[in-house]
Amino acid sequence: MKRIFDAQLIGPFAAMLIVAVIVALTTERFLNPGNLSNLSLQVSIVALIAIGSTIVIFAAGIDLSSGSMIALLTMILAQMLKFMGLPLALAVPLILVVGGLLGLFIGLITAYGRIPSFITTLAGLIAFRGLALTFNNGSPIFSLDPALEPIFYGKVVGIPLPFFYLVFFYAIAAFAMNYTKLGREIYAVGGNPAAAVLTGINVRKVQTTTFVIAGFMTAVGAVLMSARLNSGSPNYGQTLELQAIAAAVVGGASLAGGRGNILATLMGAMTIVIVQNGLNLNAAPSSVQNIVLGLIILLAVGIDMWRAEISGLMGRLFGRSSSDTKKGS
Amino acid sequence: MTTVTPLWEFVDISKAYPGVLANDKVNIKLLPGSIHGLLGENGCGKSTMIKTLSGVQQPDSGQIKHNGQPVLIADPQVARNFGIATVFQEFSIVPTLSVGENIFLGNMPQSRFGVINWAKVRNDAARVLAEMDVDVSPDVITGTLSVGEQQLVEIAKAIAMDARMIILDEPTAALGEDEIDRLHQLLRNMRSRGTAILYVSHRLDEVERIVDEVTILRNGSVVRASGETKIDVSEIISAMVGGDIGEHYPKEQNTTENVVLEAKGLATKSGVSDASLTLHQGEVLGLGGVLGSGRTEIARALFGTDELTAGQITLKGNPVKFCREIDAIHAGLALVPENRKYDGLFFNFRAGGNITAASLGGLSRFGIMNLKVEEQATRDLIHDLEISSQAEEKTVNFLSGGNQQKIVIARWLFSDSDILILDEPTQGIDIGAKVAVYKLINKLTRAGKSIILISSDHDELLAMSDRIAIVQHGAIVRTVNAAELTHSDLVRASGETSHIKPQEVLA
Repeated sequence: MKRIFDAQLIGPFAAMLIVAVIVALTTERFLNPGNLSNLSLQVSIVALIAIGSTIVIFAAGIDLSSGSMIALLTMILAQMLKFMGLPLALAVPLILVVGGLLGLFIGLITAYGRIPSFITTLAGLIAFRGLALTFNNGSPIFSLDPALEPIFYGKVVGIPLPFFYLVFFYAIAAFAMNYTKLGREIYAVGGNPAAAVLTGINVRKVQTTTFVIAGFMTAVGAVLMSARLNSGSPNYGQTLELQAIAAAVVGGASLAGGRGNILATLMGAMTIVIVQNGLNLNAAPSSVQNIVLGLIILLAVGIDMWRAEISGLMGRLFGRSSSDTKKGS
Repeated sequence: MTTVTPLWEFVDISKAYPGVLANDKVNIKLLPGSIHGLLGENGCGKSTMIKTLSGVQQPDSGQIKHNGQPVLIADPQVARNFGIATVFQEFSIVPTLSVGENIFLGNMPQSRFGVINWAKVRNDAARVLAEMDVDVSPDVITGTLSVGEQQLVEIAKAIAMDARMIILDEPTAALGEDEIDRLHQLLRNMRSRGTAILYVSHRLDEVERIVDEVTILRNGSVVRASGETKIDVSEIISAMVGGDIGEHYPKEQNTTENVVLEAKGLATKSGVSDASLTLHQGEVLGLGGVLGSGRTEIARALFGTDELTAGQITLKGNPVKFCREIDAIHAGLALVPENRKYDGLFFNFRAGGNITAASLGGLSRFGIMNLKVEEQATRDLIHDLEISSQAEEKTVNFLSGGNQQKIVIARWLFSDSDILILDEPTQGIDIGAKVAVYKLINKLTRAGKSIILISSDHDELLAMSDRIAIVQHGAIVRTVNAAELTHSDLVRASGETSHIKPQEVLA
């Protein structure tokens, strides 16, 4: 457990707490149970997708396609439930497989076609939404299945189901990244692909796998999205890919790859959602929300980049020399 | 010599970083028309001195004098205006720009309206290159050149600015023997024109050849300044490490009759044309040859990295075919690459992750890693190889070059490889760490493992190898007992530079 809860979590956790305290001070409504439960719903979809986005980032890739893929997957799910008459028990597993396959497709083109993931997933971002529009003449599909919402988006013992999904998938992801061969290989590929090749790691296979994981997690998000609104729509998931990447970055994942803690992404997602919630509760317009979100991303990465300067400044302010020592050579 | 005013002089220069006094009242006099060697182990404060003199940082106390007058070198631009040019160890060329553009980078000849005068760029660059006797066109994209040629471009930058003081930090680390000769000739020419040269190198054979006087640093202080007396290598070594390190090359003979690896007529698209070799159990087989002769490419061919277009590898009598690196690793081969920073180390990992990277399969059951075994093995290897104990807790970018190199080798001890290919294993590490690597080679051969050693340091190659295979133009032209070869034989046998370019440059 020491391995999972390491020092990399301290910063993102502190940031989340600070933001929560500030929001709680500005409005009493923040801490009431209804709002907290609503918060876990809000954070769930972006945080689940962010698992995939973060793992892709760990392997030094980037996934811009998840928002559009959500739209496509909700439309396919809606099509299966509404027009093809498939039962939930079949349609939902199928959609998870489709998500994995779409990820596999992107992963293969990226890793074996040697096209940077920024490009392949940018193409996915554009094309998947286009594909979503080919269903039902581009119109949303409503009233899919009355069982969808209670099964996937309801409550158990008063706690929203998405909360359990978060716990479940983050536990698996944290275990995988810290205790499995695959997790180690993902960090190795992200840290130094040339060295990974020479240690016998199948770099392309590992890269492809990260996109399969991302596709699968996007499908999980798509099921929740459909369940929440009992519908599928080609307009769902807009800018979700950027929020997921923002969650990873606020959580301290390095876009250069190889560094970061998957649980920190959850903290990052919660930080973002708490800020949005706080602005909502204080009746701030959505324009302000976007501006604040942009500033948070800058600040999060900035603090990481300027760490040495900040600790130097602290040292001078409080009369202590900074703790990191350099070798003079 | 006391009658000559030093061009530059350090008087009691001190510089502290948090936790370490990098320079402690350092004094040095740099005379015009003199090549001054600056020596010391990694971490002794050489780089700190260079940074101070090139204006990258300010000293905490002490004085810098220019022609006897105290001056302030406020920033690198001031240093340039003073005519100080620095060739840093890490390249500062832009690989996507042409040679000419790189030579005048930041200092492009311009017309009055700020438009670059390309004809002048080309002509001036061509003149500098011709003066250096470097056969490279100013229009070539720098990244397509071999590493050695890139290094020469780096030096051409310093010459183009007509520097009166040139600082060279390990200028020959990437150069082949005849390129080194060419560089030395160039430095002698500059010396006779009155340029002051500060020369930092780990290769003492070179220092002996070219340097007029030396200053040796240890733990931030000058421990010896030679004046003009003749320099003796063993004296330098003991001054650097602060005591006798015993034999510089502690070679053990462990070779046996058993052939473990045989390669016949290997060829690859990357430039190996006809490489045949046999390797015995416990043997160190050296690959000698100039930079770019194809030694690294032969290593890559053996390791399954570059696909064979011809030839056959046989391991202990069994023909094998390696489709990828993992096949070679499973067959007991290991490759310690030439450039540990480029494709050796994972800088995001601590020692543990680096050491186990090639053995993840063996460390896992059903995909789940046994982290206890990893931790224990890491601790043991850190202890056995005398790696800094910081390696357990800190990512490897915080470690010295010597510790980093030991960690890359430790990776293949952990994977229990039988045949280790060591490509320039002592490049850029200090004497103490070099000797540690030599002792490690002995330990490995004593345990019945076999080594293919690639090195541009001829003394090292001669001393540590049992036999030496001479590589020219991607082919092994002959194999001889190391004992029957002298330094000059090896230089001659290696022949002329060929022009195979390392793959990394183009990748």
